[in-house]
Amino acid sequence: MAGTSAQEATVDLPLPERTPIPSGDHTVWADVSPLLDAACKDLQDGMLIHGDNFNLFAAMSALEIMDPKMDSGMICKYYSVDEAIENGAAPVPISFDKTIDVQCTIDIMDHLLACEATWHKGHSLAQTVFSCIYLLRPDRTSSHPLLHSYCRVIRATCKTVISVVSDARTHEEEDLFIMTYGLPLNGDGDEKCLSMLNAVEETISRQLRACKAPSSKTRVLEDLVPLQNNVEFEESYCKALLCRLRFRKHFYHVLTSMRRPQGRGLELARKHIASCISELKCILNSSEFLRSSTLVTHEGNIEDKTTASGHQPIGFDASLNCRLSAPTPPRAIKILSWKKAVEYFMKLLQDLDVICSYPLDPSLESVLHFVVKFQKSQPDLVARAHLQRLLVQDGKLYGRDPVFAVITRAAALPDNTRNHDIQKKESIVQLGQLVINLLKILCTNGAWQRRKLGKILQDWRVVYVQLEMAFRKEFGEKANISNDENVGMKLFQHILVWVEEQTYWIAFRFLILGFELELYSESEYCMVYWYIYVVLIKLAEKTNLKTVVSSGSGKRRGKKKRDSVKDVARDYQIPPSVLFLQCQICLAEGLTMMLAALRNDCMMAQNPSPFNTEHERFIQHFELLQKACIPDHVSFPLFMESTTHAHLSNLVMYDYFKDAQRIAKEVKSSFSNDPEKLAELRRLEQVAEHNSIALNVISRAGALDPSLKVSFEFNHHPCFATAVVKRC
Amino acid sequence: MEQEAAETLVQAASSDGSNPKGPDESEAVNRARKLLFRRVLVGIRDGRFFLGNFHCIDKQGNIILQDAVEYRSTRRSSPSPMEQRFLGLILIPSSCRVSCHVGCSVEEQLSLLSF
Repeated sequence: MAGTSAQEATVDLPLPERTPIPSGDHTVWADVSPLLDAACKDLQDGMLIHGDNFNLFAAMSALEIMDPKMDSGMICKYYSVDEAIENGAAPVPISFDKTIDVQCTIDIMDHLLACEATWHKGHSLAQTVFSCIYLLRPDRTSSHPLLHSYCRVIRATCKTVISVVSDARTHEEEDLFIMTYGLPLNGDGDEKCLSMLNAVEETISRQLRACKAPSSKTRVLEDLVPLQNNVEFEESYCKALLCRLRFRKHFYHVLTSMRRPQGRGLELARKHIASCISELKCILNSSEFLRSSTLVTHEGNIEDKTTASGHQPIGFDASLNCRLSAPTPPRAIKILSWKKAVEYFMKLLQDLDVICSYPLDPSLESVLHFVVKFQKSQPDLVARAHLQRLLVQDGKLYGRDPVFAVITRAAALPDNTRNHDIQKKESIVQLGQLVINLLKILCTNGAWQRRKLGKILQDWRVVYVQLEMAFRKEFGEKANISNDENVGMKLFQHILVWVEEQTYWIAFRFLILGFELELYSESEYCMVYWYIYVVLIKLAEKTNLKTVVSSGSGKRRGKKKRDSVKDVARDYQIPPSVLFLQCQICLAEGLTMMLAALRNDCMMAQNPSPFNTEHERFIQHFELLQKACIPDHVSFPLFMESTTHAHLSNLVMYDYFKDAQRIAKEVKSSFSNDPEKLAELRRLEQVAEHNSIALNVISRAGALDPSLKVSFEFNHHPCFATAVVKRC
Repeated sequence: MEQEAAETLVQAASSDGSNPKGPDESEAVNRARKLLFRRVLVGIRDGRFFLGNFHCIDKQGNIILQDAVEYRSTRRSSPSPMEQRFLGLILIPSSCRVSCHVGCSVEEQLSLLSF
């Protein structure tokens, strides 16, 4: 009978009945696959069976099961960590042969280092460091002191790094970094990781001393068991382990000392950084021995291996905890090679050393300069997070200097204004917040930084307007001003000028970052340099004004009004910082005009974009500046107007590059004690010189020789291009 | 056994003359449509199960479940404890599907069969 056979089929369920998945009270699981198969057969091509709430677009976002890119739960080798352990994937001890056990332990240590570097580079913790089964079961290793202490310090280190990065919140685009769901980051007793590490280190040092001793006396005396069985290799194995353990110890010390408030641990951190670097070198040197001590032939390139010995380490499986932690991308990732990992840590330590050697200068200008310079070496997330945490603690600079004090110093106000009531004003409080935000943003990665800088420009503009309104309200209608009010007025004036200067500084940085991130194409250089030029003009103007205001307020006091104006005019010399900007202004203007002339005289290959007009690209690049009115009345028509008449024939009459070169030469002497400014000036000078020559060549030969091709390169300066003339 | 059951269900389906949803749709399609929004348990090749609300199926047999939960054994050998986690909207390609069950009462199951 058909009915009975159907009943048998549905009742005698092959799979779910045996699994503890409940179908609910008084319900059973009825097999519908035959029905579905039949329905599918009857469906027309392209037809779906779906309800009223179905939305094809929403359905596209469904997670595809068994797709290696989407399904993190795919079962590969083991069903669970426990099953992997039961199957001997992570034995303790790793081997009963003590030599092999030591070898394997070293491989695990090396692979963990590679995993850690890969994690720092932006992959998830679950797929990197915690792919180690030994780390996932903290108690299992307790009978193996060497492995146990190492695992503990790794967990403790990860925890410290996560807390610094999440405090600093520099990880916006690397948000996988701090996700630790489901991972045993807190092993019992991990906080004592250092004492245990020290004990293990002590034992191995004694074993090392024992094997070095000429007679067997010491060994008997100290009642020591050697590290492993092979007498010939005892010393090298001891050394290989010691540098690895000591590296971990010092690295942990580096992280904890750097976290001490107000930069009090920086001195100590530097000592540990130096130790770390020297241990890292020993680790590198141990690889030769580790590779030679094993007889196994290596497959593949040693450069790609994740261990010093070239062996595949025991006890790792990245797929095991994928399913535990939802945010883990199921994609298999490539762990950095051991060599690359060591290089990464070298760089990280050097970056941290740069941070630790910064003298915590209270001047904002020097801080900004330091951060910008630090970012040039392209530090990774962990180093940037440490810098940010050092700069901003408890809403103060270095957790020490109140923001208002920092602002008054930056705005060149006398010290006695630092406690003025004005700091309680809402707009001043907001300004303080903006300064803190600016510092934080400057510590983020380039792409993120640029976007954020563009956005905060509007905030700076708004604060300026608010301050100006508050200033007018307070002092606008008064004719005679008392002494106390005079101080307040001066404060406002100084701060207003400084806010504008700062705003243009941010705008300049925003534009420059576009070069570092390679966001501009050659056909856009003209408008970019033009914009840089108009921003720099404003920046120079405000910087100059600031210097005048601050020096004027000191001098003018004793003199009559009429004389003082004359005096200022006679004594006044353009400050070097303004001249420095002037040099950049000349370069930017020169490049704008040169590019415009080349375009207007059809000397440069023009590839009109099929997608957008020049106007549209102008908006795309400078929309954020335009929205914030930086500078006022600057627009695309103005750009066109100022560049449309540029021709090679009239460019020669005024050589901007010659001017830039001259200023660079002049101003050098003012920066004789600032090697970086000098180096920068030298670069600017070179760009000016090369462009000046190129311009001459082009204007003389260009019109007669159509085979002359001009292109632009950044071989002298990262942002100011040099023209290269070629005959083709 | 499975094959037989399928045939029976199809036969049972086609024997029903009335078709409220659409006269041009086959009985099997109509009956499958009735499964929409119900709790369905799908087993796949690697041994996992997915429990969710039946949302959609296409000609090729790919199923979409809403509010799906993944069940997996923690051991290869059965019986073993199960782990589960919430996944949301999932698509199960027909190529990896090995079983599909709908939760229903015993009476309903019988009435299903009495068609």
